[in-house]
Amino acid sequence: MKKETTEELFVKWTDGVLSSDEKLQLDTLRENDPQIKADLEAMKNLAQSVKDEVPSSVEPPYGDFFNSQLMRKIDLEVKSQHPAKKAERWWQSLRWAWAPAGALALVLSFFAGHKVSRTTDGLVSAEASKTDSVAGLPTVYFTGKALNAEVISDEDGQVSAIVVNGLSAIRDDIDFVTVSTSEDLPNAYTSSEARRFQ
Amino acid sequence: MAPAGASPDAGSSEQEIPDQELIEACQKGDTRAFETLVTRHRGKVYAMVQNMIKNEADAWDLSQEVFLKVWKALPKFEARAKFSTWLYRITHNVVYDWLRKRKIDSAGELDDGVLSQADIAAGSKTSPSMTLRPDHALANSELGERINAALATLNAEHRETILLREVQGFDYKEIAKVMDCSLGTVMSRLYYARKKLQSLLSDEKRND
Repeated sequence: MKKETTEELFVKWTDGVLSSDEKLQLDTLRENDPQIKADLEAMKNLAQSVKDEVPSSVEPPYGDFFNSQLMRKIDLEVKSQHPAKKAERWWQSLRWAWAPAGALALVLSFFAGHKVSRTTDGLVSAEASKTDSVAGLPTVYFTGKALNAEVISDEDGQVSAIVVNGLSAIRDDIDFVTVSTSEDLPNAYTSSEARRFQ
Repeated sequence: MAPAGASPDAGSSEQEIPDQELIEACQKGDTRAFETLVTRHRGKVYAMVQNMIKNEADAWDLSQEVFLKVWKALPKFEARAKFSTWLYRITHNVVYDWLRKRKIDSAGELDDGVLSQADIAAGSKTSPSMTLRPDHALANSELGERINAALATLNAEHRETILLREVQGFDYKEIAKVMDCSLGTVMSRLYYARKKLQSLLSDEKRND
């Protein structure tokens, strides 16, 4: 019989997991060598002693501290994988409004500049009339999502052009001299603009 | 009788939640579920590590390392695997990494000599003592100490095989998975580890 087979039979007999075939094989061995029986018995007793004497579970000293230390390490691990978002300033939370607000400011500036230039050219504009200030409000163009502005100037800085892309198309029927008031403008804006032009 | 210092089975309230449920919660990032899992298994892991390296302070640190690795690896754990086998596999890796590092540090060899009886300080507590009737306690504590001393003289592979089989009650296939070896190797290690342990204990008896 191969050495490995014998070893396996001994181990399985000690653990009480021999099949009937294996048991027959071992019985043959034991008949041929009486010492084997004694060795096997001793091995079985030893296995039982180890089982009895060596605890399978031993609480680590300071169990609560063990857990708290471990959980602290895990918290650090979690934080390193998912860095916490920095606390935002209140104005940072309004980031979404920056683009439309900027576009609105740009458009208002455009019309304000237009009004001044017309006035200085000696043309009579409706908004210049103190008698009908509300009726003289400009039409406001709101932007699309892809608003961008580009400033082009010559080397001396004497001439510059601002190119604004992303504004809605200006209707052909708008008379910039006698501008009309849009019905879609919010009341707060209308009154604020009326005050500004007075 | 359970030796003193041995942890009782996990608390009944915690025991009501199966490991698998806790693992699923952990996989979703629930650290409280993980703490419950740790409390349930830390005694077995600590005992295994301590029996392997025979050093309480290092066993404490290594057990922490085991659970930290478990946390990191839990997302990859598959439900069809047995959690205890997987846990002991990680424990095995942590212990062997430590033994390898110790071998490099001491420029020694990873064999029986690494954890020889001489390395254990006289009177050091290598396993929990038992609380028994005084007459039985005298006989049994002596036997426990002798077994622990004999286990310490085995090489790491033999000692681990014995501990997994006799102490943790793993079957041969589980031992092979934990130790990443063949069934034949497990059988061979068990056979020679038992023979050597038997020989050491009978030698000691003769010397007494």
